[in-house]
Amino acid sequence: MTLCVDPLRTRLPGWLLLGWLALTATPAQAFDIESIHPHWDRDVLRLDARLDFSLTQEARTALENGVPLVLLLQIEVLEPRDYLWDKVVARLRQRYRLSYHALSERYIVQRLNTGVRTSFPSLEGALYSLGRVEALPVLDRSLLQPGHQYYGLLRISLDTEALPTPLRVWAYVSADWRLSSDWHPWPLQP
Amino acid sequence: MAATAVKRFGRGLWPMLLLFALLLVSLSFMSDATHNSERFGRMYSWLLLTNAAGLLILLGLIGRNLYWLIRQVRAGAPGARLTSRMVWMFVILAVAPVSVVYYFSLQFLQRGIDTWFDVEIENSLESALELSQSAFDVRMRDRLRTTEQLAGELTEVPSPLAPLSLFDLRVRSGAVELTLLSHNGRIIASSGLESTSIVPDRPGDAVLLQLRRGASYVGLDPSGDGGLHIRAVVPVPLATPTSEQRILQALYPIPERLSAQADEVQAAYARYRELAYLRKPLKYSYTLTLSVVLVLSLLSAVWAGFYAARKLVAPIRNIAEGTRAVADGDYSRRLPSTSDDELGFLVRSFNMMTRRLAMARDHARRSQLEVEGQRTYLETLLGSLSSGVISLSPDQRIRTVNTAAETILGIPLKRSAGEPLQALVTAHPFLEPLQEAIERHREAAGGPHWTDQLSLFGPNGRQVLICRGARLPGDGVRPGGQVLVLDDVTALIQAQRDAAWGEVARRLAHEIKNPLTPIQLSAERLRRKYLAGMEASEGEVLDRATHTIIHQVESMKEMVNAFSDYARAPQLELRPLALNELVAEIAELYRGMHPNVELELALDPAEPWIEADPNRLRQLLHNLIKNAHEAIGTEQSGQIRLETRCRVEDDIPYAELWVCDNGPGFRAEVSEQLFEPYVTTKTKGTGLGLAIVKKIVEEHGGQLQAGNRDDGGAYVRVQLRQVHRPQTAP
Repeated sequence: MTLCVDPLRTRLPGWLLLGWLALTATPAQAFDIESIHPHWDRDVLRLDARLDFSLTQEARTALENGVPLVLLLQIEVLEPRDYLWDKVVARLRQRYRLSYHALSERYIVQRLNTGVRTSFPSLEGALYSLGRVEALPVLDRSLLQPGHQYYGLLRISLDTEALPTPLRVWAYVSADWRLSSDWHPWPLQP
Repeated sequence: MAATAVKRFGRGLWPMLLLFALLLVSLSFMSDATHNSERFGRMYSWLLLTNAAGLLILLGLIGRNLYWLIRQVRAGAPGARLTSRMVWMFVILAVAPVSVVYYFSLQFLQRGIDTWFDVEIENSLESALELSQSAFDVRMRDRLRTTEQLAGELTEVPSPLAPLSLFDLRVRSGAVELTLLSHNGRIIASSGLESTSIVPDRPGDAVLLQLRRGASYVGLDPSGDGGLHIRAVVPVPLATPTSEQRILQALYPIPERLSAQADEVQAAYARYRELAYLRKPLKYSYTLTLSVVLVLSLLSAVWAGFYAARKLVAPIRNIAEGTRAVADGDYSRRLPSTSDDELGFLVRSFNMMTRRLAMARDHARRSQLEVEGQRTYLETLLGSLSSGVISLSPDQRIRTVNTAAETILGIPLKRSAGEPLQALVTAHPFLEPLQEAIERHREAAGGPHWTDQLSLFGPNGRQVLICRGARLPGDGVRPGGQVLVLDDVTALIQAQRDAAWGEVARRLAHEIKNPLTPIQLSAERLRRKYLAGMEASEGEVLDRATHTIIHQVESMKEMVNAFSDYARAPQLELRPLALNELVAEIAELYRGMHPNVELELALDPAEPWIEADPNRLRQLLHNLIKNAHEAIGTEQSGQIRLETRCRVEDDIPYAELWVCDNGPGFRAEVSEQLFEPYVTTKTKGTGLGLAIVKKIVEEHGGQLQAGNRDDGGAYVRVQLRQVHRPQTAP
């Protein structure tokens, strides 16, 4: 498991377009976070979470038609500051590729960070499996300074930038494709 | 300079061309990206944003241009209407073809994308997939049976010994991997090829659930490395009812050729399904790209229209402004000439025209100044002339008059410039002889020059003028006017006459006075010698005759003395003199001399002082008073009034002496020659009285006037320059 600090740069245009569109349409809250449970395993902070990836009908149709979807799990650990915005201590990004294999009629989940592929006979099974995050390592204790206060944020979303180009324009303007949860805060005890 | 260059660059063509080029490149990338090219696919959003920004910049530029144009049109700036017309033209010219192309491209695009998809292809792809699936089905059932047999063989094998049996069974069955699991999915034993992963592949939760319900599972699983394998999971039959339920999973390879074919079918099918699904979004994104191209082209055309219109109209606007400036009289405007075309030619012609106009204007101004200078010079010349000059237009209007003419004629002529001569003559009838002379010589047509002597009686009294006329040359079409030169020769003639009289008087005095004394002496001797010896009657004759001779000689002597007095030019002894005192002194002498005449004094209380020879002035007063006495005579009672007055004329103070009587006054026939010698109305007298008065007045630089009073009697007025009272005067 690697901690990757994701520069916003590559995703900026999408965000700009999204920001513009957010003014005109209300986003569909299709994804949700049911519970987050952080715990220390020796010097490594691990996270258990229950996530609800409920796809819209539009996304399901696309998936069944062979369009792979990339789901994104973003975790940030922040240190509150009185001045400026809060300082990001660690940023973790997990990407899952969900696709349909027509020949075997199975759904395949590929964890892009590791390359591990798992297949499921049903979409629900695949989404359930994705929604169970078990002991995901987030950061090492050495990154935290003793005596400081920290908190975490977690968010799941559909990576529209990974969609096929023709669909991407459509995804920018359609509420059916704006699949994302809010940034969900979770406590962090060093 | 640098700032100007930057500004010019900012306005110029190059940055716009650069922007267009960037947008075009961005558009072509976007078009590539729509083809799902991996490289540009990731840039798609950036490209879209870049293009949107570019379009916004263009819109801003056009907006600014439009605002500028509207303001120019509202302000009625030159060339603004032409610019707007040209912009409209450009826009319409650009919009029409681009819209047509856009419409047909859109149609073509929609149909083109639709033709990619065919029901037959779709059906055949689905059939191919089904065929693959059924091919695998047979194999899977076969593998399931094999696995069930293997599971049967494992029934009696206890778990600790399972690994050995599994290896044996795997080799026999040709499976890639055999795994024995407990009913909850825990791995009991496993055997796999060395090439496969160390960690055995666990069946999923769903499979375990299915097995717990007692059903076997067989399926085609995409393996971890992307290939396919058959997964068969069966329950191991129980040796005893109490023994633990176990599960056997077997993974069978699929022959490489079959696997590759299956992959191809799967890939083709998936690709086709994806494309079919993406048909609508694809159309949208192509339409979007096309629309962006269209809008970019249109906006570029509009901007280019603005740019071209401004470029084209700029020289015309300059010319319009320049023309307006020229109309306002500003010839200094030069237009910048940039191009070599007809407009540039026009600009150069305009510049040449204004330059020539300016030259012509400067020339005209110089000529005018010269003319004015000459005119001023002429006026100065005329003003300094002692001769009066009057020029007349052909229609007998007064054109030019100099100051001397005004002085000579005694009327303000300059005010009458431009008026007809006739009007002037009507206002001042004494000018009639002048007009008659002009008319006479105009009609006579006897050569261009004429000279005439005129006698006028105007405000300055009787004047003798020498009038020289000259006809001015005409300009070929109209006849020229006339120029008159007037010279007042009154004084000259007077002086000549005076000189002549003086000469006469001198000669008379000399020639006559000499024999007079012998005549007198002889008469007296005759009388003395013969009177005593004669008889009373004869003696009386002699007495009377000699008496008459002596008496007449006496009076002749007096007359000769008077002549010599007149002819003599004594040295004047000028000194300041109180006029009132002198007048009073003389009046005192005459008071009571003639009982029938009352002498009245009216002296100005301001007590004017004059500079004069007191003796000459006494003689003047004597002559005047004597003259008045003689006019009144001895028979009737009369009144003589002596008056002094102070008077200011043309800012010059004068002292006036008036001698008035209530006698018969001057007779009309002599009134013009009162002051000439031997002009007298009286029976006795030398006729030199007033002539001497005039001489004395002239010697003192004064003026003399005589005339008849309205209420009867005559008056004589002597005007002398007043001087300041001397400080040391007694």
